[in-house]
Amino acid sequence: MDDARITALALRARDGDRAAAGEFVAVTQQQVWRLLVHLADASVAEELAQETYERALGSLRRYRGDAPARSWLLSIARRVAADHLRRRARRPVSPATLAEDDRPLGHVSGADPAESVAVRHALAALDPDRREAFVLTQLLGLRYDEAASVAGCPIGTIRSRVARARADLVAALGEHPPSAERPHRSG
Amino acid sequence: MRPVDDQHGMEWDRCDRCREAMSAALDGEAAKDAAAEQAAVDAHLAGCPDCRAWQQDAAHVTAITRRARTGLATGGPDLVARVVDHAPGPRARWRGTAARAGLAAVGVAQATIGLVSLLGAVTHAHAMTDPLMVLGAGIAHATHESAAWNLALGVAFLAGALWSRHLAGLLPALGAFIAVLAVVSGLDLVAGRVDPARVATHLLLVAGFVLGLAVVRTVPRPGPGPTPGARWWRRDERGAPDGHAPAVADRWERESDVA
Ligand SMILES: [Zn+2]
Repeated sequence: MDDARITALALRARDGDRAAAGEFVAVTQQQVWRLLVHLADASVAEELAQETYERALGSLRRYRGDAPARSWLLSIARRVAADHLRRRARRPVSPATLAEDDRPLGHVSGADPAESVAVRHALAALDPDRREAFVLTQLLGLRYDEAASVAGCPIGTIRSRVARARADLVAALGEHPPSAERPHRSG
Repeated sequence: MRPVDDQHGMEWDRCDRCREAMSAALDGEAAKDAAAEQAAVDAHLAGCPDCRAWQQDAAHVTAITRRARTGLATGGPDLVARVVDHAPGPRARWRGTAARAGLAAVGVAQATIGLVSLLGAVTHAHAMTDPLMVLGAGIAHATHESAAWNLALGVAFLAGALWSRHLAGLLPALGAFIAVLAVVSGLDLVAGRVDPARVATHLLLVAGFVLGLAVVRTVPRPGPGPTPGARWWRRDERGAPDGHAPAVADRWERESDVA
């Protein structure tokens, strides 16, 4: 799904075309949900995706088409996830949110299901900023400049966060884990 | 001789930058000086077995996550039916179109009034003796001025109906004009200095102002030219450890700075 078409759908939806609004949701909802699974967690991703679309469609009137609609939508999803995490931080953590959920994410065709679980666990262990950069660029397939506009940071920051996420994943999944005495750099 | 820790730190820093460049290359995101960066990476790899091993591992991890990406196209809930009612309704489109059409009609009427009074003023100017000069302008010239202003407002309404993003800038000036005109028209009506029919033509300005507001609110349609307030992207000073310029963000910033 190319950005130009998604943006065109958003503009038609803004001007009152409900069919275009439905198509806009249909072609973007997997990515929104996917992002929210990783920024929050799978148990709340559906609820947060719904909240994302309620906010996005409700403020569509003010969307001017300056940025690609997909980046605009994903940055709203990112704010919804951040608001959720802030709300949750104020509440005592319930045991349910800590429970292991071993359902594979989606139907990973042609891949070892155990591998996808391993990937998911390794991703969940990443620093949140690195995980966000990695999910946006690797799982959602955004370019670095698009990921930068969604995350609200410079491209160079995305570049270094992706590299550090890769390094962390290499350490967690790679066949040659780096030697233990390496100083671990944060950033 | 430098302390061992510093050497180790520098070595690690060089590895870090090499790995960052290799990571970007895996994503097809070459830096601006791609050739120079590739040369630096190659030179470093020749002398660093750790980074050579890392390159293989990173490619392996990337292959795993790419495979995951292709498998992740499904699995989420279908939200269309649940959220589509939050989208702007068909009335939004109708309201926007109606407001534009109305504004265009008001623009034509206003420009016609301006044109007619301009022609009338020009043809009558020679017959006038101009007994009264106010602030350096005779009645004939004052009439020319007001006719030109009426014509210009008609053109502005028409242009605003076509290019709505320029409309917002017109509204404060127009609002002030209408407010002052309303006060002086009221005084002149009471004193019998003006024909009520003439004052009635000013209602076109009020209609244009209201319709202009409606157009600005309902159809912020993107078009050529800068958009005021487009800076939804904000420069984030937290990051950028290596000073990479955010090319796309710069473009958006420049657009809104021009606006
Ligand atoms: Zn190295």
